[in-house]
Amino acid sequence: MNAVIEIRDLTKTYGTVRALDGLSLSIPRGGVYGILGPNGAGKSTLFRILLGLIRPSDGTARVMGGAVGDIAAMRRMGSMIETPRYPPYMSARQVLEWLALSHGVGKTAEIPAWLDRVGLTEAADRRVRGFSVGMLQRLGVAAALMSKPDLVILDEPTSGMDPPGIQEMRALIRSLADDDGVTVILASHQLLEVQKICDRVAILNRGKLILEGAVSELTAAGGERLWLSVAQVEAALAVLGERGARDDDGVMAAIARDEAPALIRALVEQGVDITEARWVGTDLESIFMTETGAAEASRGEQTHAG
Amino acid sequence: MLVDAIRAEGFRLTKNRTALFWSVVFVPLLSVALGALTSFVLKSGQTKLLEGAKSPELAEMMSRATLDLASAMVSAAGGLANPLVLLFVLIGAATLYAGDYRWETWRLISARNSRPNLILAKLTVVAVLALAAMAAMLVGSLVENLIRAGIFGRGLIFNLSGEQVGQFFALSGLSWLRIVQFTMVSVLAAVVTRSLLAALFVPLVIGVAQFFTPQMLGPMGVMPDAWLSILLNPGAAHDAIQATITRAPAAAALPAGLVLKAWTSLGLWTVVPLAGAVAWFQRQDLSKE
Repeated sequence: MNAVIEIRDLTKTYGTVRALDGLSLSIPRGGVYGILGPNGAGKSTLFRILLGLIRPSDGTARVMGGAVGDIAAMRRMGSMIETPRYPPYMSARQVLEWLALSHGVGKTAEIPAWLDRVGLTEAADRRVRGFSVGMLQRLGVAAALMSKPDLVILDEPTSGMDPPGIQEMRALIRSLADDDGVTVILASHQLLEVQKICDRVAILNRGKLILEGAVSELTAAGGERLWLSVAQVEAALAVLGERGARDDDGVMAAIARDEAPALIRALVEQGVDITEARWVGTDLESIFMTETGAAEASRGEQTHAG
Repeated sequence: MLVDAIRAEGFRLTKNRTALFWSVVFVPLLSVALGALTSFVLKSGQTKLLEGAKSPELAEMMSRATLDLASAMVSAAGGLANPLVLLFVLIGAATLYAGDYRWETWRLISARNSRPNLILAKLTVVAVLALAAMAAMLVGSLVENLIRAGIFGRGLIFNLSGEQVGQFFALSGLSWLRIVQFTMVSVLAAVVTRSLLAALFVPLVIGVAQFFTPQMLGPMGVMPDAWLSILLNPGAAHDAIQATITRAPAAAALPAGLVLKAWTSLGLWTVVPLAGAVAWFQRQDLSKE
């Protein structure tokens, strides 16, 4: 079995709203898989269906080879969706003890190690009612991983975390996939984060899959561009013509590699001071904006035509 | 699987000190305090009475009076399902039944166990909570009697016959069933409304309405021993069964077949709300707990 998640024609409607609209998706075993999409794309609905919290209106979903609700299959999965909440009278340690019992793990001796791994050792015996969102997220990640699952679903795992916390979480997620062989599925609005840690991504919009593939392939397909840090942006854009675009404190040049020396000479001759130059691929953010924008435009045209 | 869920629910309840205090400790403490206060007041009145009567025979008789703790415990077992106990056990039960909606924790536990198991685990823990509350009440009753004996200077005996042992366990079991049955409406209300307040107040409102069913049905020509009356009022059903266990004078006057109706009522009020809650929960979307 190569796929950990198999989804066929999955539809979920809430009244007249179609949160998922005939979604089909196969998520392969291994690595980190990102689910992207704007608000209302259907990410949380998809996760809730995969966890058995809600029933699909139509279609099927299989998790770890079993139907959703197959407890043996579901017990091979850990999850944290949205900002987790816990009984407020419990400490972080007690939350993990409670969930270990509930999940049939029973290995409470490992709880200190998990608290340490998510950076909550010092807060282990504090009641969770006083925890920040970031601390709740960390505890949620520990709870999701504690049972040593084969598949982990994480919804916005770095939400509310400070920059060092985000870096630690990225490292943890990558090590889960690389060192422990766990398949990680995550949803995030932070596209830079997704690009850094995901191997494959699926982009959803209005409950439909609009793009799926390996991050490296998607970003390479958009072609390379030369980014130049220049003091005289207008002069540089004049030289580049239609192939140039303003980009933060520099310009982005859509040229081939063998054109670079001539371009740089031309810029210098026009009095443009170049302080830095590097080749960049198409980033996930531009792909995301392009694809979701195109989907919206297509939808708008259809609506207009209808 | 069910065992995992029961262990987890039990663990969670042990960490909820507020629920445990109100459900298990508060009523016995209140009973002991009120009992001691009442004894002091009566003792004061008794002293005045004896002083006024100047009767050495009466004084001698009262000092010789003994307190039979065995009888007191059997009597206490019959009163374990009193309205105060029902109310305060309901606090803990409602917290258990509706807690996962209130704290949005279904998402943490529902993927790894079957939904009927999760509800049955809560029921099991509430059943144990009811036993703990009853045990605390019995200890409270014992302490109250010891205080009374001390205040009045009465001797203590413990004369337990075989019949009393049987009565004690039968009454305790009946009280336990009544308490658990009372919380069944709470589990149904919790699942249907997803609200802790509803889990607490719906059983109370229904309980009060049931108390007044004889007054409501009487004018309609429905007799208190009719199937409808007993089926609508599990409290009356409990009282009828209790009368037969204690062989109280009221038991002799019970109409034939009433006990069957009473057991049926208690059984239905236990099973039907639970089955409804399980069936509802089985199909419930937990998109927003």
